[in-house]
Amino acid sequence: MKVSYHWLKELTGLDWPVEEMAERLTLCGTACEDIVSTSRYLDRVVVGEVLELHPVPGADKIRRAVTAIGSENLDIICGAPNVAAGQKVPVALIGAKLDSGFEVKKVKIKGVTSCGMICSQAELGISDDHSGIWVLDDDATVGKPLAECLDYDDYILDFELTPDRADSMSAIGIARDLAALASVKIRYPSFDLEESAESAADHIQVSIADEEACPRFTARIIRDVTIGPSPWWLQKKLLSCGMRPISNVVDITNLVMLETGNPVHAFDLDRFGSDEVLVRRAVEGEKMTTLDGKEHTLTPDVLLITNGKEGKAAAGVMGGEDSEVSSETRNILLEVAYFSPSVIRKSRRHLGIISEASSRFEKGVDPNNVPGASARVAHLFHDVCGGSVLKGVVDCYPKRIDPVTVSFRPDRCNKVLGTDIRPERMKQIFADLEFEVDGSDPMKVTAPTFRHDINLEIDLIEEVARVEGYDSIPDAQENIGPLFTPTHEEDVFEDEVRRMMTGAGFDEMISHGLVHSRQAAIIDSGLPYLKIVNPVSEDLDMMRNSLVHTGLIAVNHNVAHRNMDLRLFEIGKAYFPPDPDGLWLEDNRLMILVTGNSPASWRNASRPFDFYDVTGAIESMGEHFGWPSLRFEAETAPYYEEEVSFSIRCGDTEIGTIGQITETILKKFDIKQPVHIAELKISDLIKLSRDLSEFEPLPIYPAAPRDLALVVNETVQVGQVLERIRSVAGDMAETVDVFDYYKGKQIAEGMKSVGIAIVFRLKHRSLASQEIDKVQLDIIEMLQREFKAEIRTK
Amino acid sequence: MSLLDDVANLRREAVEKIKGADSADTLGRIKVRYLGRKGLLTAILRGLKDLPDDQRKAVGARANQIRAELEQQIAEAVTGLSTEKSASAFDPTLPGTAQQIGAMHIVSQVMNEICQTFYGMGFEIARGPDVETDYYNFESLNFPPDHPARDMQDTFFVEGGRLLRTHTTPVQTRELERRNPPIKIIAPGKTFRNEEISTRAHVAFHQVDGFLVDEGVTMSDLKGTLVAFCRAFFGEDTKLKFRPSFFPFTEPSAEVDITCFLCKGKGCQLCKFSGWLEILGCGMIHPNVLTTGGYDPEKYTGWAFGMGVERVAMLKYKINDIRLFFNNNIRFLRQFV
Repeated sequence: MKVSYHWLKELTGLDWPVEEMAERLTLCGTACEDIVSTSRYLDRVVVGEVLELHPVPGADKIRRAVTAIGSENLDIICGAPNVAAGQKVPVALIGAKLDSGFEVKKVKIKGVTSCGMICSQAELGISDDHSGIWVLDDDATVGKPLAECLDYDDYILDFELTPDRADSMSAIGIARDLAALASVKIRYPSFDLEESAESAADHIQVSIADEEACPRFTARIIRDVTIGPSPWWLQKKLLSCGMRPISNVVDITNLVMLETGNPVHAFDLDRFGSDEVLVRRAVEGEKMTTLDGKEHTLTPDVLLITNGKEGKAAAGVMGGEDSEVSSETRNILLEVAYFSPSVIRKSRRHLGIISEASSRFEKGVDPNNVPGASARVAHLFHDVCGGSVLKGVVDCYPKRIDPVTVSFRPDRCNKVLGTDIRPERMKQIFADLEFEVDGSDPMKVTAPTFRHDINLEIDLIEEVARVEGYDSIPDAQENIGPLFTPTHEEDVFEDEVRRMMTGAGFDEMISHGLVHSRQAAIIDSGLPYLKIVNPVSEDLDMMRNSLVHTGLIAVNHNVAHRNMDLRLFEIGKAYFPPDPDGLWLEDNRLMILVTGNSPASWRNASRPFDFYDVTGAIESMGEHFGWPSLRFEAETAPYYEEEVSFSIRCGDTEIGTIGQITETILKKFDIKQPVHIAELKISDLIKLSRDLSEFEPLPIYPAAPRDLALVVNETVQVGQVLERIRSVAGDMAETVDVFDYYKGKQIAEGMKSVGIAIVFRLKHRSLASQEIDKVQLDIIEMLQREFKAEIRTK
Repeated sequence: MSLLDDVANLRREAVEKIKGADSADTLGRIKVRYLGRKGLLTAILRGLKDLPDDQRKAVGARANQIRAELEQQIAEAVTGLSTEKSASAFDPTLPGTAQQIGAMHIVSQVMNEICQTFYGMGFEIARGPDVETDYYNFESLNFPPDHPARDMQDTFFVEGGRLLRTHTTPVQTRELERRNPPIKIIAPGKTFRNEEISTRAHVAFHQVDGFLVDEGVTMSDLKGTLVAFCRAFFGEDTKLKFRPSFFPFTEPSAEVDITCFLCKGKGCQLCKFSGWLEILGCGMIHPNVLTTGGYDPEKYTGWAFGMGVERVAMLKYKINDIRLFFNNNIRFLRQFV
């Protein structure tokens, strides 16, 4: 909402500097976002008169305008189609800086030197009209600075309004806050009416079919108006609210809406087609063309102003094309009404139109200022357009809307705010806001009907707080001393995972979680997914159902930016539609992925990241969280290569899956290097985790390390070998680890060599070497028997 | 003084000089001075033939012994110097070979830091689902159906009649339902808005909501808490400005500006020369919200606030494009190691 500084001064009589006015309004809840000077681009712009127009040889779109600026005549090249000799025009002299940041310079075009520029309103920052040059009034004095000539040295205040304060969508509304801050009275604009003897009621009848949707409708008739451009004082007010002047009648309806907040509509009475107004809901399939030239097929969601037969306006949203005021209009039917906010909201949604009127109606205008606004428009139609106003207003008000009275306890107000404001001061604040106050404790406070936001005591408490100023509330800290704070299990767990994963060299990624269903189907077409009904774009039409998907998106983005070597993890949710029992599942997961090569250093050569970099990260975390050791069971997932696709089990729990992404999927994601991913369920990991229950005493008996080298078939799983060794050795083996692994030359085709280091030690006594030899023999025998191992121990 | 004494003095003098020598050059000069063709010890040895027999034998033996000793000492000193040189060939400036540490996402870091500050003030962390019901996201928070306030938060709807939460405030109703006062909660999480993706807006962002409900809680407490938080988070000298605003679930409502942490309020590019940065929204919990949650607003009052994590990070690190947070480009992620 834009309002000019001078307008606010005129309504309040306050002469605060513009910055102070903006700041104080902001601090009472009407946030001023921007202050712009109306004459910011008028420096070095003067009034000129076009004396002669000459063609420019070799160019048919531009002409040379000999233009008088008082002291001299300038040659100016002008391309505007509407320039004509005899016009008074704004001339930007050399050095003038215009709206687009353009500085006027002396230029040569087709051999002609141009010494200035004839400007449009847009170029001068007056409006967004750049259809042609701005033709000034004939009485403008040639050579005079334009700003002085226009008396347009003002500021435009741009307010960012909150949706609860519909009343602030008007100059008077904003002035009311100012008046309350300064404890002054608003100077309401005049609406003395000179009415003719003839009565409006004899010429128009109003009836309302849906009183809930239209609680009030008023009509007036104004005869014999002269349509023409508005006087400059009126144009200025519209321009300073960011609105383009059109004609006096339209401008006046806009002005009164900006002034009072009540939208106003003028019909061409002679084109309205009857002497009867009927407000009703549209019939399914009914058609109407709005004044923007668009034809709409209507439903009962749209409320219509009809002439008893057909729709002449979509109530509260936009007028109809066939009854629009034009340059031919003589007689006017003036509508000012109050419509139900929710009805207008539905209607404008159906029509797909957001107008100045609809945005006011849907937030709520003042039903009891409807006749006032009507009189104000009629007054201006008479004064400005020479119309004669028929006697009386036809006021159909079947559903009276009365002001709300709220009980207010001063003590409660101080208790909520933590303040010590005197009740008399509260009373004063209410009076300054034009609220009526009765009694003292509790006060009976009646807010006028322009304040739809006042319904409860707390609303009045806020009024006191914002007018008194939030600055006057002290900063107390005594009531917020620490209590014992329990931790949040999931939050603590995730935080630990983050610390460990980053410590292990993985970078944390976060996805927004919206993905493309077609892409999701490439990964796993069988997985159910949660569809977004109103996606922002076609390629973000569902919530992800796998963190593998968003992981691949991140890899795709990185390799496209030549970041080839990645170790990433993400903690986040996968989303699913409700299950048959109506239960909504959001599955919190940990995704770990590697691709590319490990960092090379002067000591260690780089090597490709692979499967074991992922399992290594999980195993290290498992050690910290006390998870049982991992087991991998071959399980086909559509997105993993068949050979490298496993479910991960920890004890009896399946905690997730791990594998190598298929070539086909990688191709679709433009990835040309292997990607290994694991996806784990956070809730299961938490269940498996436990704190160290008891400290283990340090060993006091010596350890006996023994190494075994064996060659086995390459299909033998080393994990099983280790498990069997542990079970044969029983409590004698402290650790069993792999120290070497080799496939290739020297080893027969289809075989692999594994080096296993066993440390023998008992907790309670020392071991004799014969005992160790015996167990080692048992182990070797077992390996030969169960795994067909060839033992190569030296 | 006997010639034997002279020889002993020469030796002492030479040994001292050898000890003090700090370069091979000096040692060379010492060798010439004592053991060279015209050296002091050489001169004595040459003069032996002029001595009486009894002295010649004793002095000669001693001088030769000293000559050998000095030669050895000089040689040792020379090697000593060169050994030291080979020790300084160790190069400590080669890059260390520790595991490269990964980066926690900047959103996680900022969110943690905010939560930890409130955790220290006795707030407890709570979470809620991302896919919410209209009741928790809007209705219980005093957004009447079809109210313009819903337009402030463009909403994604999903099949099955739910929506993606537009703020973490639904956690407030959920916690009010299952707890008893005093309730002090901090609720971090992901939220969604149906907005065109641009440098300033995205379909998702993270939010931290906090609220407190108890008997006798005032707006003054809210201000005090937020002043304490902002000082802890943005610096001791941070000042706050509370501007009236509107949220359906709080009344009175406020936007909070803090003095720009870059220019300390003097005005700079970051704060668009205003000296202030808008950082969070807050207010006293609306009585309707308390009633809906099952509390008598006459007995209990409360306050709530909410802030955007990406916004805070963007201000703090001068990040000019919100899309960077979700692209997961490691060149971005790894800046926050």
